[in-house]
Amino acid sequence: MNEKVNPYKPYMATVQEAWYETTGDRCIKTLKVLFDDEEVRENWSHLPGQCTMIGVLGVGESMISISCSPTEGKFLRFSVMRMGKVTQAIHQLEPGDKLTVRGPYGNNFPVEEWKGKRIVTIGGGIGQAPLRPIIEYVKANRSDYEGLTVIYGARTSADLCFKNELKDLRNCDGVSCHLSIDIEEEGWPHYVGFVPSLLMEVNPSPENTIAVTCGPPIMIKFVLQNLKKLNFADEQIYTTLENRMKCGIGKCGRCNVGNLYVCKDGPVFSYATLKNVPEAFA
Amino acid sequence: MVDLENLRTIAKETISREDVKYFIGWREGTYGFSVSPHFVREPAEADKLIFSPLCSNNLATYLTLAEKLPVPRGQEPDTRKVALMVKGCDSRAVVQLLVERGIEREQVVVIGCPCQGVIDTKKVEQLLGQPENVVRARWEKGKIICQLPDGEKEFIKEEVLAQKCLKCRYPNPVIYDILFGEKVEPWCQEEDFQEVKEIEGLTLQERWDYWQEKFSSCIRCYSCRNVCPLCYCEDCILDRLNPTWINRSVNISENTAFQLSRAFHLAGRCIECGECERVCPVNIPLMKLNKKLSKAVKEMFDFEPGLDPEAKPLQASYRPDDKEDFIL
Amino acid sequence: MESLKLDKDKLKDFIAALDSKKVYAPQKVGETIKFAPVNGDLEVSLDFANTTVPPKEIVFPQTETMFLFEQGGTDINLTKGGAEKVLLGVRPCDARAMSVVDNLFSWDIDDPYYLDKRKKITLVGLACLEPPLNCFCPSVGGGPASTEGLDILMTDLGDAYLFQPLTPKGEQLCQLSSELLQPAGAEDNARAEELHREAEKKITREVDIKGLAEGLPSLWKSEIWKEVAEPCLGCGICTYLCPTCHCFDIQDEMEGLDGRRCRMWDSCLFKEYTLHASGHNPRPSRRERQRNRINHKFSYFVDKFGVTACVGCGRCINLCPVNIDIVDILSKVKEAL
Repeated sequence: MNEKVNPYKPYMATVQEAWYETTGDRCIKTLKVLFDDEEVRENWSHLPGQCTMIGVLGVGESMISISCSPTEGKFLRFSVMRMGKVTQAIHQLEPGDKLTVRGPYGNNFPVEEWKGKRIVTIGGGIGQAPLRPIIEYVKANRSDYEGLTVIYGARTSADLCFKNELKDLRNCDGVSCHLSIDIEEEGWPHYVGFVPSLLMEVNPSPENTIAVTCGPPIMIKFVLQNLKKLNFADEQIYTTLENRMKCGIGKCGRCNVGNLYVCKDGPVFSYATLKNVPEAFA
Repeated sequence: MVDLENLRTIAKETISREDVKYFIGWREGTYGFSVSPHFVREPAEADKLIFSPLCSNNLATYLTLAEKLPVPRGQEPDTRKVALMVKGCDSRAVVQLLVERGIEREQVVVIGCPCQGVIDTKKVEQLLGQPENVVRARWEKGKIICQLPDGEKEFIKEEVLAQKCLKCRYPNPVIYDILFGEKVEPWCQEEDFQEVKEIEGLTLQERWDYWQEKFSSCIRCYSCRNVCPLCYCEDCILDRLNPTWINRSVNISENTAFQLSRAFHLAGRCIECGECERVCPVNIPLMKLNKKLSKAVKEMFDFEPGLDPEAKPLQASYRPDDKEDFIL
Repeated sequence: MESLKLDKDKLKDFIAALDSKKVYAPQKVGETIKFAPVNGDLEVSLDFANTTVPPKEIVFPQTETMFLFEQGGTDINLTKGGAEKVLLGVRPCDARAMSVVDNLFSWDIDDPYYLDKRKKITLVGLACLEPPLNCFCPSVGGGPASTEGLDILMTDLGDAYLFQPLTPKGEQLCQLSSELLQPAGAEDNARAEELHREAEKKITREVDIKGLAEGLPSLWKSEIWKEVAEPCLGCGICTYLCPTCHCFDIQDEMEGLDGRRCRMWDSCLFKEYTLHASGHNPRPSRRERQRNRINHKFSYFVDKFGVTACVGCGRCINLCPVNIDIVDILSKVKEAL
């Protein structure tokens, strides 16, 4: 068997930086990692929306979206919520520790096709991780896009990821950022309520606009309803799906929704595609 | 003679009760000797019910196998009773579930069906092959009659009955609300543990080799666990991945760990319905393992599970005179 | 390619002549009939209905080590490729199943573990002259003498086997034992054809699968799935022993400091199959799981690869402890469409 083409053989990478985005039981940690092999580093390319299988030898692998844009540099970033066996092990990693990376997998947000348009991202909780590369990509190619509206919410202010970056966004030209938390907190200057309501409050115009949403299933459900109320066409709405995955390359079977494999046909889908897949929002 | 008319009437009356959700019995299968569990919700469905020497499935499994799906907002959970048909051995599973509080008495309506033994389809297919049409069978004067495409064929018990039935001491249900049919005379009084003793007579190495050969065939489909009316933990250690107690790899070491865990978790609980052995697609003689533990439980604690609904679970109760010779 | 004949009592010599390759044939291992390496001393008998465990396990083992590593190490030692193998006495349905599964393991990205073994096997088939009761291969595009996926088709002529080489690989195999094989006559071929026709007539179970691929998704909310799922035990028999079921899990396993990443058969009927780490399960009950099983075989797979992922071998029917019968399900589906 040819080692070079074995898709199950992961690359070794080293954690450069690691920090917690949030605290609590299901806390989120961000890792900035670099491939050990220079050749791999040079040949690697990905686009916003794509995923990787990251893992710890002896524990296993998890499908995690790449939360940085290729425009940011030769490193990769992952923001991982502590959930099961593998993500617990990933949370133990500190700078200098090794992890394995396979990928990139899946399709991407069609950021090139979207040039000339305004992008609205609507995120909830950890769902901001796959949206972050879009924001960074648009920022890096600012003149190619009409504008960017970031709508993001979490349960409490402590559950918001990428806080400092979001603050900085407010200073970018043509970029607006709207934050929300579910429950009232002292000193919180922004919106209080659920993300779908914030979306109605922000009231983006569908004209020449693409809306991308990612978050917990229940949020996505209501965001989609509200986007329809705001007259967004199905083709203007994108989301990402996630399912349990093992192989990442359309073999192991488990990630299917209807006749689509999330790992190959997704994770990025337009609502025009998904609305005909009965299992998509199960 | 089994009075199917009467059975169907009982079923219709039972499901028409306001406090009954559904009625579980057996119906003819789709081919040969097959029989399928049958869930009756409408009176018309009751007309498919049968009770014959082919009704092997222990329906008590469905008491705990039924999935508890989330109740839609604004709706109340359906807490009505489940009615089910039980043979003698099956009824012991109901009792053991009551003892363990896996179910509550008011959740079930037990239709007790005295049984003269069920056919081991593997045995009968070896004699006859797999007949094309659906086969009917009945008990008659201590014999088993099969209606085959080319006429009726009579068998003596030893030829076709399942091993567990040949030594059955509890052909009559030990618990029931409604008795269907007449009680039968038990044909076996004493458990002799003959098949266990045969293995106990081997050397340690021979026993190990014997089980290694059997366990090496195991494909870990978990049908033995899933069919067992007393394997109903919601979080089974065999599935758990965090931490992983038993690797998913299928090899002799993991298979042995799986099979021994399964058997030990049934010590003092197995009611010997033999379903695990019946469903095993690779023919592992699982009842030999279960019986070995039954024998130990009998000898050490003079206990037999699934007979007295008021009993305490063996492994959750302590008696000052419990044997302690395993403590070094 | 010309047909050949092998005297039945020369079967052992034929196997011996293939000594450069490992020969697998159906054998009773413990209490199970499965494909196992032929031991030179053992009489091989091809007198069986079909194996309980399908020969898929030769190309897609139930558990397969993908690579080895050491705790804390960074070296990954990939499993080396295997040896050339000959599978003798494969039933046509199981050979077709391999062709079906080839689609999956070679679409988009090649699966090196499967394809390495697949390329190194030669499939010597045996026509089913006495198809067992629950076979329905003609309904799903096969037949008791289907040649799809086979390198050689053997037919039992009574005192001899007729060998029909079907591929260059099959011809090469015949050359290895050319002194044992004699040219077959026209009457042998005619006899085999007649036996094949008779065999097909013996198959009684059938189901019309036309329109299922398009129609199945429309029955998403049908009560059929509830009916199928209600008696279902949620065990892995029907999927593990299906020659086309190919889903797998990947696990890291440690023994002391030695680690291995392996893959193993998995089943869409297990709760854990789709369970998210968060506790959310997109297929929360057996109803959704059985629906997925049937849809995958008769709709999704057809959409993706143009073939049905069922070859009609009947194993899932024969071995289901509660008589969940795929022919029966499909007939109900057809009625509901």
